[in-house]
Amino acid sequence: MRLVVARCTVDYDGRLQAHLPAAVRLVMVKADGCVAVHADGGAYKPLNWMNAPNRLNEDPEAGVWTVTSPKGEVLTITFDDIISDSSHEMGADPGLQKDGVEAHIQKLLADDPTAIADGLRLVRREYPTDIGPVDLMCRDADGVAVAVEIKRRGEIDGVEQLTRYLEFLNRDPMLRPVRGLFVAQEIKPQAKVLAADRDIGWVEVDYDELRGIESPNLKLF
Amino acid sequence: MGMKFRCERDTLVEALSAAGRAVTTRGGALPVLAGVRLELVGDQLTVTGSDLDLTITVVIEVAGGEDGIVVVPSKLVSDVVRSLRPGSVDVAVDDDDVRIVSSPSEFSIRTIPADEFPELSGAEGDAVTLDAGEFRAAIDQVEKAASSDDARPILTGVLMAAEADGLRLVSTDSYRLSVRDLSGTAILSEGQTVLVPSRALKELSRVVGDQDQITLRLGERDAGFEVGGVSITTRLIEGDFPNYRGLIPQNHPNQLTVDRETLLDAVRRVRLLAQESTPVRLAMSDDGLELVAVTQDVGQAHEAVEASYNGTDLTVAFNPEYLIDGIEVAPGDEITLETVDELKPALLKAADDPNFLYLLMPVRVS
Repeated sequence: MRLVVARCTVDYDGRLQAHLPAAVRLVMVKADGCVAVHADGGAYKPLNWMNAPNRLNEDPEAGVWTVTSPKGEVLTITFDDIISDSSHEMGADPGLQKDGVEAHIQKLLADDPTAIADGLRLVRREYPTDIGPVDLMCRDADGVAVAVEIKRRGEIDGVEQLTRYLEFLNRDPMLRPVRGLFVAQEIKPQAKVLAADRDIGWVEVDYDELRGIESPNLKLF
Repeated sequence: MGMKFRCERDTLVEALSAAGRAVTTRGGALPVLAGVRLELVGDQLTVTGSDLDLTITVVIEVAGGEDGIVVVPSKLVSDVVRSLRPGSVDVAVDDDDVRIVSSPSEFSIRTIPADEFPELSGAEGDAVTLDAGEFRAAIDQVEKAASSDDARPILTGVLMAAEADGLRLVSTDSYRLSVRDLSGTAILSEGQTVLVPSRALKELSRVVGDQDQITLRLGERDAGFEVGGVSITTRLIEGDFPNYRGLIPQNHPNQLTVDRETLLDAVRRVRLLAQESTPVRLAMSDDGLELVAVTQDVGQAHEAVEASYNGTDLTVAFNPEYLIDGIEVAPGDEITLETVDELKPALLKAADDPNFLYLLMPVRVS
């Protein structure tokens, strides 16, 4: 990762034409060739950027970088004053960790599956299937296997995921029939419809309640 | 298909706005639903907007030139017509464009293919009539307590239930509950209940104006309301409404009676210091009522309100918005607030009108 803090002007010529007048900015050149120009504000969106692959041509004498993409887009950065220019070896990124809240809900529900449904007991967390582990494998009060998929926000793709797990789990003669339960803090109406259509149950759980935190806003029911 | 008519700007704006309120804002599966459908037959222009759950149709009289059907972008055309100078507006469709002319302005706007607009049928069922003023007042009294959270669709509806002596409207978002009885209004068969989206009722309330009657048709899955030249058809919500009767405490040992406007004004003032989700506290004693709001690092507000109180000294905290909603819609000059303790639901009603009640959960304070 190369980081250049400099007073510069930037001109983009591609899908449209854009000009950034002279100001101090951060220019990032990532290992894959992405170039991004940031102002001192905003969480993530650069003022201008070029996705990889790019060709970066530096002209140190003129103080001009020309970044060209295969689509013919050209980003021209003209440096007036370079304040800092450093490069850092960052190595491979381990990727985004699973959402902290989602993982915590899974742990809380594994500790007390009856918060999902009366009589539910845990068989195993992260129960393996050929296409990945299902969050919780439980048995209901009648001893029937129940695969539980947990999300923070319950959307259609979560129901699809659980459907795939159920398909594999129901091939196991020792386990079948396996029914599915889709659990989330909030489940979108479309996901509820899809779940019902596939005979998958759904349950919305209150994260605060699971943690034993009482909301000051009391409810009638 | 060509189409040509002339119409007063304000009449057209009103029709486009009313129908446009049913137009989808979420960019659903059918792009054509971002438009309103105009159909001209003779001198009658029918303007229809729909998101498939809610359909609003407005019929207005215009000076018709050439019959036709066109679908135009709802918001843009509404904004354009509204922006014109007062007076008459000429609308004409040429090929794929609609021309909107009111001298010296002239707009040409691309239309949406009309054959993509879905066939929309109104609600079936026998027509019954309702007193428009009374029904609108009842809607206004209950619609605020309905939830706007689509994740719990049942709570976004207003329950219409047949009661022994008439019709009952009920709504709740789980924090408060509104109940309004319309004695002598028999539009449902015995024991029948329907759940009507509060959004549809809100639109109905908006278009009632000075009309005397609303015509209601209840179908299996839809409800249709007609008032003046406006028809509103809404899909009914399926599912079981919460058993609200069991939520209303039968015995309230503490009773506060207070002038409605006085309390409303006082809560509105004190609320200014109930920031960051902090509640307004009502301290009730033989001396009357004191309202208190405290926001840490901001400040505090106190106001004594003249009131009569019968019960043990008690301080109960409420969400100020929910409290104001209830006070605003309670009928009559005087209201009573009945409480059990600081954690049980409080009952707000008119001192002399048994047909309305508003149940409100307190906020827990340390």
